[in-house]
Amino acid sequence: MPLNGTTTVSLVGVGGQGILLGAAILAETASFAGLQVKASEVKGMAQRGGSVLSTVRFGARVWSPVGPRADVVIATELLEGIRGLALLRPQGTMVCATSTRVTPGSVLRREEEYPDDLAGEARRRRVRLVEVDAEGLARAAGTSRAVNVALLGAASAVLPFDPHHWRAGLEAVLPDRILEVNLRAFELGRAVVPTREVES
Amino acid sequence: MERQLFFSGNEAIAHGAVRAGAGFACGYPGTPSSEIVETTARLKGIRSQWCVNEKVALETAVGASLAGVRSMVTMKHVGLNVAADPFMTLSLTGVNAGLVVVSADDPGMHSSQNEQDNRAFAKFAKVPMLEPADSQEAYDFMAEAFSLSEEFDTPVLLRTTTRVSHGRGQVLPRVPVDVPRREYARDISKYVMVPQFARLRNRLVLERLEKLRRRAEQSPLNVLEAGTSDFGIIASGVAYTYAREAFPKAWFLKLGMSHPLPCAKVVRLYEQVSRVAVVEELDPFFEEQVRALGLPVVGKAAIPWDGELDQEVVFRALEPYLLRKPPRRRRPVLPPAPRSTDPPKPAPGLPVRPPVLCPGCSHRSVFSALRRRRLAPMGDIGCYTLGALPPLLAMDSCLCMGASIGMMAGFNAALGEKAAVGVIGDSTFFHSGVTPLIDAVYNGVEGMVVILDNRTTAMTGHQGHPGSGLRPDREQGPSVDIQRLCEGIGVRCVTVDATDHAALDAAVAEEAGAPGLGVIVALAPCVLTSREKAGEVVVDEDRCNLCGLCLDLGCPSIAPGDDAVSILETCTGCGLCVEVCRRGALSLVEAGSCP
Repeated sequence: MPLNGTTTVSLVGVGGQGILLGAAILAETASFAGLQVKASEVKGMAQRGGSVLSTVRFGARVWSPVGPRADVVIATELLEGIRGLALLRPQGTMVCATSTRVTPGSVLRREEEYPDDLAGEARRRRVRLVEVDAEGLARAAGTSRAVNVALLGAASAVLPFDPHHWRAGLEAVLPDRILEVNLRAFELGRAVVPTREVES
Repeated sequence: MERQLFFSGNEAIAHGAVRAGAGFACGYPGTPSSEIVETTARLKGIRSQWCVNEKVALETAVGASLAGVRSMVTMKHVGLNVAADPFMTLSLTGVNAGLVVVSADDPGMHSSQNEQDNRAFAKFAKVPMLEPADSQEAYDFMAEAFSLSEEFDTPVLLRTTTRVSHGRGQVLPRVPVDVPRREYARDISKYVMVPQFARLRNRLVLERLEKLRRRAEQSPLNVLEAGTSDFGIIASGVAYTYAREAFPKAWFLKLGMSHPLPCAKVVRLYEQVSRVAVVEELDPFFEEQVRALGLPVVGKAAIPWDGELDQEVVFRALEPYLLRKPPRRRRPVLPPAPRSTDPPKPAPGLPVRPPVLCPGCSHRSVFSALRRRRLAPMGDIGCYTLGALPPLLAMDSCLCMGASIGMMAGFNAALGEKAAVGVIGDSTFFHSGVTPLIDAVYNGVEGMVVILDNRTTAMTGHQGHPGSGLRPDREQGPSVDIQRLCEGIGVRCVTVDATDHAALDAAVAEEAGAPGLGVIVALAPCVLTSREKAGEVVVDEDRCNLCGLCLDLGCPSIAPGDDAVSILETCTGCGLCVEVCRRGALSLVEAGSCP
């Protein structure tokens, strides 16, 4: 399906992991880069431990706030990352916090098993996988809560924005008292992917 | 056979309902519907009550239907606006025993503020509609309405107008229908309309609509009546009687089951005649559907949209049309069966992550107390609806905002015992729980209501409400005291600290055994707003035998291990698991004290 140069990024995770904040930063960044931005979220159950999905779309002219398939999916949790593979277009990119696991109730009750073969599933679906120890990076930056921003840093390698756009996006959304630690987390995440590759 | 009776349409509906085995009738008075419940109140074998408004009346009838008794609810056309909330979702849940909603419309506004055409509600809710044209049909159609309701698992809209409700005619009584009471069985995926279940029900509604269309094609209520002219008329209700007298030689498609439209029967009429008219009061309801088939028709181009029709109006409107050359026709195109979206495909083998009640949520404590008492909890809309899912299974129904109390009332009234309990949150209580509580007082309901008062509208993001007095700008306004409000309308009411599990359990036990109506306000601020850790729960691994009592609370902070449960760091120390453990394996070390 041709989408006329519109890029779709979905952020997935568990309520409380900063999905909506991450989406806001991405939307501001795209806006600073001079692109039109539309976004949409499903957050009714966010505080009750349910899955959260937020989608940001940007391009020269964006019509719809949701898209059929994402070019990039950013997952703040491993199981949600595996679930989120279904959102990706073929050859899309999954950026996943593979060291972060939030165990769902059914797994705690031993009714279901927590899956872990993200890499195999990504291969099977022919998508590119960027595995990030986002929790480790966030802690190294100074707060384990910056998992979302560390992942944005890693994803920035495949997104068409310059560093100053990202900085403006982060500054626009984050309060001053947590800005520095998040800027560090972003840089650590950005260093995960060695060469800058912009998806065509 | 008995002698013929001379009934108004409303009396005929009442007698027809009783003949069809209805055991419960309620409504809110409104011209031209009021005499139906007035009549059932004089008849044996049916409990009749006036409700505080049409929404509560419908919810009460739903409760009686769930309890297994055929139920009827009556209202005037604008009353269905008030009852639209339960009506629209009732289409998804369906019924247990048959349920008929009678809407009496008032074309010409003899005594109404508008003259809306409630046939639109049948289409809107995707439910079948019957339209009697006289008293005999009003009487006969009730049995058909109840059996359609049960066969297709749907509420049925029986729509009259002033001239049908208040017109009188002979009625030949029929042999009563013998209907055993249906057993009630809990079925949360049918009666608890949280999104995951409602999506599944919605697909069934679309399938049902197509099955109903096929039934309408076969129904003896939709009659193709041969004429001797080249002119055909499609009509229902009293409009049919006007057209019949104005054009005695015409062919007729007389619609008794008028939604869904029997399109093939419409096409059959067109095969007989060269010109067709639709005669209907108010909106071009049939006309638009006939045009959608690609068939030429005269309707509102000639016939007034507003007010009542009569023979002369119909004759004058259509006579010139009969003299004109017949219109040219294309082949009619029947509407396709409704299509559903593809069912969502979950990633195979992946654990689901449904939203759950938070660790330390005080609602869990209420559900734990309620489920020891074998009461059917009629639920409502809010965070606590999450308690309907396994393992808590704490709620049997969730229809619409404020439905819990009316459904409890109808359920208990139909069974004549305190079998159901209403469970409603504080914000939902203010939204639309006060009126059914007033109703329950007035109707002498035996029952119990638990108001889960967490001082906020938690599910949507902790907005204020009249109980908290908080306004959107977080300004503190005056607040309404729930207990005093309940006492003011004459209900026995106690407020219990919902974090005190033993006290809550005792209050529920006492109220369950008490006669009459009582309210328990289970008070505890939402844990998401307080977020204070009350203490640590410690597990004695030697005593824990993994019996599962604590796990059945559905608390996300308790996990089973190999030999004993373990408590996760998300635990708030509410202590409910300590309370339910029968082996003393769990203990609470309160915050601030040393273990």
